Amino acid sequence: MEQPVQTETWKARSLEELIRILHQIFAEDKVSVDEVQALMESYESNPEEWLQYAKFDQYRYTRNLVDSGNGKFNLMILCWGEGHGSSIHDHTDSHCFMKILQGNLKETLFEWPEKKGNGEMTRKSERVLRENQCAYINDSIGLHRVENISHTEPAVSLHLYSPPFDTCNTFDQRTGHKHKVTMTFYSQFGERTVC
Amino acid sequence: LPAGLSQWFPALEVLDVSGTGLTEMGTELLSLPCLHTLLAKNNRLGGPGSLPKGLEQAPLARSLRVLNLSGNRFSEVPPALLQLRGLRSLSLGGNRLHGIPPDIQELHSLEFLYLGGNFITAIPPELAKLPSLRYLVLCDNKIQSIPPQLAQLHSLRSLSLHNNLLTYLPREILNLVHLDELSLRGNPLVVRFVRDLTYNPPSLQELAGRTIKTRNVPYAPSDLPESLVRYLSLASNCPNPKCGGVYFDSCVRQIKFVDFCGKYRLPLMHYLCSPECSSPYSSASQSSTSQSESDSEDEASVAAHRMQKVLLG
Repeated sequence: MEQPVQTETWKARSLEELIRILHQIFAEDKVSVDEVQALMESYESNPEEWLQYAKFDQYRYTRNLVDSGNGKFNLMILCWGEGHGSSIHDHTDSHCFMKILQGNLKETLFEWPEKKGNGEMTRKSERVLRENQCAYINDSIGLHRVENISHTEPAVSLHLYSPPFDTCNTFDQRTGHKHKVTMTFYSQFGERTVC
Repeated sequence: LPAGLSQWFPALEVLDVSGTGLTEMGTELLSLPCLHTLLAKNNRLGGPGSLPKGLEQAPLARSLRVLNLSGNRFSEVPPALLQLRGLRSLSLGGNRLHGIPPDIQELHSLEFLYLGGNFITAIPPELAKLPSLRYLVLCDNKIQSIPPQLAQLHSLRSLSLHNNLLTYLPREILNLVHLDELSLRGNPLVVRFVRDLTYNPPSLQELAGRTIKTRNVPYAPSDLPESLVRYLSLASNCPNPKCGGVYFDSCVRQIKFVDFCGKYRLPLMHYLCSPECSSPYSSASQSSTSQSESDSEDEASVAAHRMQKVLLG
C-alpha cells in the first residue's frame, strides 16, 4: 500500500455495507491504510449483525472468518473470553487492522528482538482500545500482544489482514526466541470448522 | 432479589442479575428447583447475606451448574458456596480474595474455575482433589508458588498463571499430559540457571537405603522391621537420566530450565540426589553452558510430547 491518490471519507452503516465497501477499495491497485482504518472505525458495532460469527471457546480466543475478500484480504471476528490473550506475534509482512466490536482489548507493542535474541524483549507502549476504535499494525511498526484483561467481560474484535496469511511467528517475551505457528479458523462464514 | 420470584417463575433455569447493584441474594433463590445457571457479576455482593442461609438443603445445591460472581466484593469464598455440590463452573474473577479455602475440594463436579484478578497468595494442595477440573484460571494474583500436587489434576486442559509472583514451577507440572494451554507471562521466572546450594547431607539411614536399592541387595519383609520395609519402598529415582541413583529424603532443590518444545525455558524445581547430579559446570552466574543445555534437551524431548501448546511470553 502506498500513499493514496485520493482518500474518500466512508461511512459504513452496517457490517454488510462495510464488507461491500472493502471489496470496492481492495479492487483498486492502490489502497490507503488511512482510508481503510477510517472506514473500519466508521462502522458502529451492532451485535445483531455479527453475533452469528461470534463463537467463543472456553479455553482460548477464537478466530472466525467472515469474508475472504476475493483473495485480497481476510476479514475475521475474534472472540476473547475473560483473561484470554494472544502471544507476542508478527504479521508476516501484511497489514493488520483491528477494530473493537465489544468490550476492551489491551494492545502492548514490542520492538523486534535482536538477531541473536537472548534477553527480555523491549516493550514499546501499551494502550487499551475501546469499543469501535480501530488500531493498525504491520511488521515495520513492530510486534504486539493483544489481550482481554477483563475478568468479567468478554471482548469481540473485527480484524482485517491484507494480504491474507495463515502462518506467523510467536515470540517468547523473556528471550526473544521466535517460533513459527500456523493459525486456524474456529469457524468460517458462521459455520464451526472441525479439524 | 424480588420477593415472590419463585412463585412467578417456578420453572426458571437461567437467572441473570448482573449489574443490578445487588448486595445480597436471599431466600428467594432457595425455592427455584430448576435453576442451573446464576449470573450475578458486577454487583456489590461480598458481605454477609450474599448467599442465602439454608443452601445445603435447597434444591439449588444439586441443580446449580454455573455460578458467576465475578466483579463483586468477595474477600473470601463464602462457605455457603461450597454447598453447591452440583456446580460445574464457578467464576469469582475480579473480587478481593486473599486465598482459596481447602474445602474447595467439596465442589467435586467442578470443571471450570476462574479466580483471576484477585489477591490470592497461595494455592492449597486440596485444589488438586477436583477430579474433573479442566480449566483453571489464576492469572493476575499474587501467587508465589504452585504446589506440586497440582499435577494430580489429570483432566486439566488449560492453566492460566500469568501475572503472578512465580519464580519457578514444580517439576511435576510435566505430568499434566492433557494440558494444551499454559500461560506464564508476567512472572519473575528465573531466566538464568540458579543453583540452590542448601543441601542437607543424607542420614546414615538414607545412605544405607540408597546402597540397598542401587546394588539390588535382596531383602524380605521378614528380614527387616516393617517401618524400614516401608522406607525402602519410598525410594525415588534421581531425575538425572545419567545417574540412575535413588534418593529418599535428602535432595537438592535446584532450579533447572526445561525447553518445552525446544523453544523456551521454564525454571523447574528438580529434586536431585546430590549436587554432583546436576550438570557439571563451574560458575552459575554467567551464561548457561552447552552442557546444561544438553541436559535440558533430554527433559525437553520428554516434555515436548506432553506440552503441546504453551502460551509463554
